[in-house]
Amino acid sequence: MSLPTTILARAGRTLLLTLCAAVGTILLVRFAPGFFSDSLEMDAKYAQAARSEIQAENNQQQSVIPIAIREARSWLKGDFGESREYHVPVAELIGPRVRVSALLLGQGISCGWLLAVCAALTISGLRRGGLVCGLPFTVLLAIPTAAMATACILAEAGGPVLVLSLLIAAREFKFLRNLLEGAWRSPHLLQGRAQGLSPRALVRMHILPNIAPQLCALATLSIVTALGALVPIEVIFTVPGVGQLAWSAVMNRDLPVLVAISLLMASVVAFAGMLSTRTLTLEVE
Amino acid sequence: MKKCLPAAALLLLILGGALVLRLAPYDYAFQDRDATMAPSTARHWTGTDELGRDRAVRVAAALLIGLTGATVAAAITTTIAACFGLLAAFSPASIAAILMFVSDIFLSLPWLFLLMMARSLLPLTASPLETAVATFLVLAALGWPACARAIYRGASVLRSAEWLIYGRACGLKPRQLVRLHILPHLRPLILPQFLICVPAFVVAEANLGALGLGVGEPMPSWGAMLLELDNSALLAQSHWVYLPIALLVAVLLILESFAREGETNA
Repeated sequence: MSLPTTILARAGRTLLLTLCAAVGTILLVRFAPGFFSDSLEMDAKYAQAARSEIQAENNQQQSVIPIAIREARSWLKGDFGESREYHVPVAELIGPRVRVSALLLGQGISCGWLLAVCAALTISGLRRGGLVCGLPFTVLLAIPTAAMATACILAEAGGPVLVLSLLIAAREFKFLRNLLEGAWRSPHLLQGRAQGLSPRALVRMHILPNIAPQLCALATLSIVTALGALVPIEVIFTVPGVGQLAWSAVMNRDLPVLVAISLLMASVVAFAGMLSTRTLTLEVE
Repeated sequence: MKKCLPAAALLLLILGGALVLRLAPYDYAFQDRDATMAPSTARHWTGTDELGRDRAVRVAAALLIGLTGATVAAAITTTIAACFGLLAAFSPASIAAILMFVSDIFLSLPWLFLLMMARSLLPLTASPLETAVATFLVLAALGWPACARAIYRGASVLRSAEWLIYGRACGLKPRQLVRLHILPHLRPLILPQFLICVPAFVVAEANLGALGLGVGEPMPSWGAMLLELDNSALLAQSHWVYLPIALLVAVLLILESFAREGETNA
């Protein structure tokens, strides 16, 4: 298959995946046993008759096909509907939050990668003590994101960027270290060492160019890891980003917001997946 | 000897937890209203929470509930993944592509977001036991796609193996082939997937609990215990508040060492 055809096929698959994720969200929300639950139903101040009326009103608007048609129509107009919780257009609600989250993701992923690359480069070159030096990353991997964020708040040190960086560094360090250890052991590097090339020159001239495609693939997958961690981090640090909005939408069963965020997250993840596969395929070719 | 250490430590923790629950005069939901937010005392060795519930009992219960739930959920998810991966690997290419596309749909949303969405859509009036079962079932139901992909890749390699062709030629039925030949060959691949899922599910439950979407009160869970750390008045009273998080990290380190060993052996 030619390059443009491959790219088109991948883009089509990415689009289809994104749409399927959005449809899946609608189905999941609609058929979940708790979909008809409304916090108003739990409110003791409403009489049974009023609660039944609320339920009946909800039932009228909640068939799958009308929901799907309504959503599809509004997507085509570039409109994602109105939030059930805030009574504001979803696009208006998400727009400013995307910027906040994108900035957090950008800073977290860059700092995390910097930390992971520096540590992996240093530790992979060690002949002894690699296990002990890598121990902090192993411990970091065992701490849930929410616990790490709470610890930062308690210690009054660091913030969302630090937590995200540590998480990314812990996840990527393991892969980077394996990758670099393999690279250090390759025959051409031994030859280079025997010829007296300095470690810095070896890294710059031989290691980095060789592992660059895998690094790119890993970097795109970091986006997926970071997106997953975004929700607890933003909720605990009260960062007004997409993660916090997703949590609020989930808690309040705000379907239009949930579908819009699913669409956004699925498109980012699918695009990252497409990039990582493409990078590796180009390397194989 | 070195390899047995994590297993011994985990066994010790489980036995310790069971012993605490067996010997303690209270259950995890008992509220000692005269000793709310108590520091370490003769009655409550590790103090109590803001409702006067014994921390040691609650941590022990959270340990056992978390481990049991995560292990059962990991077993279910690995079974689903094995069935899905095998079905895709031994089906015609078009069906395999469709099945893998289905797994990609699940993978196209971040794991925690998907979990959060699925878990939150359960009824608001569920009992604590129901929320615990629902949480771990949601983990089991959504954790399989990545494992299924790994098993599919491994099983695809086996499809053209000579012994499989020989088995078919000898007239073995597909079910016999799977049970007698394919599954034993895939065991080194399936077991690490199971071992990786257990700590991942413990972490996911803790994160969900910290977001208020985990196991419902008064049933103890790692997530609910993490929420205790938000209470600054409680933190000022006793350092035992940090016990759950310290134990959680220790358990996760042990579980991850199993997962690493499984990966190395594979």
